[in-house]
Amino acid sequence: MDLTVAESAVPREGFLLVETDEFQGPLELLLHLIRQQDIDIFDIPISHITDQFLQAVRSIQAHDLDSAGEFLEMAATLIRIKAQMLLPRTVEDEEEDPRAELVRRLLEYEQIREVSMRLSAAEADRARRFTKGFNPPRPRRPIAESPLETTWDEVFAAALLVEMPIPQNRQHLVTPRTVSMEDKVVLILDALRETTRVEFSTLLLGFREKMHGVMTFLAGLELTRRRLLFLRQTAPFAELWIYRREDPGEPEVVPEAEDARGGDAGSEPMQAEKVEQPVNRSAEGAAEA
Amino acid sequence: MNAHQIVEAVLFAADAPLTADEIARADESLDEDQVEQAIRFLKAEYDDAERSFQIAEIAEGYQIMTRAEFAPYLERFDNVPRPSRLSGPALETLAIIAYRQPLGRIEIEYVRGVGSAGVLKTLQDRELIDVVGRAEGLGRPVLYGTTQKFLEHFGFKSMEDLPRPEELPIVLRERIPLGPEEAGAAEPVTVDSVAADAVAAAEAPGEDEDDPATA
Repeated sequence: MDLTVAESAVPREGFLLVETDEFQGPLELLLHLIRQQDIDIFDIPISHITDQFLQAVRSIQAHDLDSAGEFLEMAATLIRIKAQMLLPRTVEDEEEDPRAELVRRLLEYEQIREVSMRLSAAEADRARRFTKGFNPPRPRRPIAESPLETTWDEVFAAALLVEMPIPQNRQHLVTPRTVSMEDKVVLILDALRETTRVEFSTLLLGFREKMHGVMTFLAGLELTRRRLLFLRQTAPFAELWIYRREDPGEPEVVPEAEDARGGDAGSEPMQAEKVEQPVNRSAEGAAEA
Repeated sequence: MNAHQIVEAVLFAADAPLTADEIARADESLDEDQVEQAIRFLKAEYDDAERSFQIAEIAEGYQIMTRAEFAPYLERFDNVPRPSRLSGPALETLAIIAYRQPLGRIEIEYVRGVGSAGVLKTLQDRELIDVVGRAEGLGRPVLYGTTQKFLEHFGFKSMEDLPRPEELPIVLRERIPLGPEEAGAAEPVTVDSVAADAVAAAEAPGEDEDDPATA
């Protein structure tokens, strides 16, 4: 009955050659078929609509598999409903009309479409009103924190796979100039000749290799041990200051210092003299000034 | 300095909608009521003087905007800020989220009948929607809701400005609760509850049969 009504509403089959590209999805296509033919949505002639739907679906381009899948899923639903409609239903049977869920979805979708048209109108109205200034480009969303999916065992295993560079046969051997601690001792003492204190970092100026820093530091420690100077640092990683000790004669009375000095003991007084000299000199300089 | 001058200065300098509470922070002497009073004063003043701009109530706040009739002049400039328009699928998806939030991708796709992951990503990138929670159940899927930017984009003052379901010329609206009672439900909309709606829809098919004829 409905089928004939529907068919009479369709003047020719031609208009059913719809481009599925025009439709966002199967619901929109189905709604289009129903509304175009003034079909009563609460009594959809399923057999008829299924045929028309399948006919429309055939025009889907094969390359668009994603959307084809969605249309085919709807086709399957329609065929299933068509089959269910053919089954005899008893009066007492509480089972709902097989079409009910589809009808509900169609109406809901139609309502959503209406709302989105209203939203589009609101958007257009809003776009006609301008706010002040230039909008900077929208910042990217911060990347969501993803849990670490690697265990440490895997990290270590991967680290072991890293190929270590194979030592090449060297064409020539470059031997770095050796840095002697004695040179650094002289450097420190020279630096402290004119002044009572010096920054550690200034002693490294002009030397690029790390070894100079190491040896200068060791020389500083050595001279500290010899009680010729003391080191001072106000905070960890802060500048290290090397101070001249004004009382170099004192180490002799420290027994452990004597023990440690051993064979060097002979040179000690000479070094002390060296340091004493500048003290006097600077004192004279101060007096002159 | 008058209160309305302070309010005007704040609104003039702002690049996003400000609430009355935010504007009131400009001065200790200001409170929300005074700000609102000042805004009413300014609005009347702009209207009387036929200014090209007005104070719009948008996204639960206030913002100075040009009047719509000046759009043709401003649109000639490339560097004037202009929000880009959303595509049909994006609008459709936003409409579903706006009425049904919070809800997940599966429910959105069921209503639309098409895959929506890409659209959701776009909307999320544009900060029109955001993840507002996770549903109970398998996989704890994320649930989406609209943002303040959503209101700004459509020029809505609040969610109340959304078209109400009862004013839509769509049949069977009583059976499709898209209103706040469903949106505010503690339990997220699931396919099961959608199916339950379908049963309800099937129970009373006769009542609304007059409507499609009029629609």
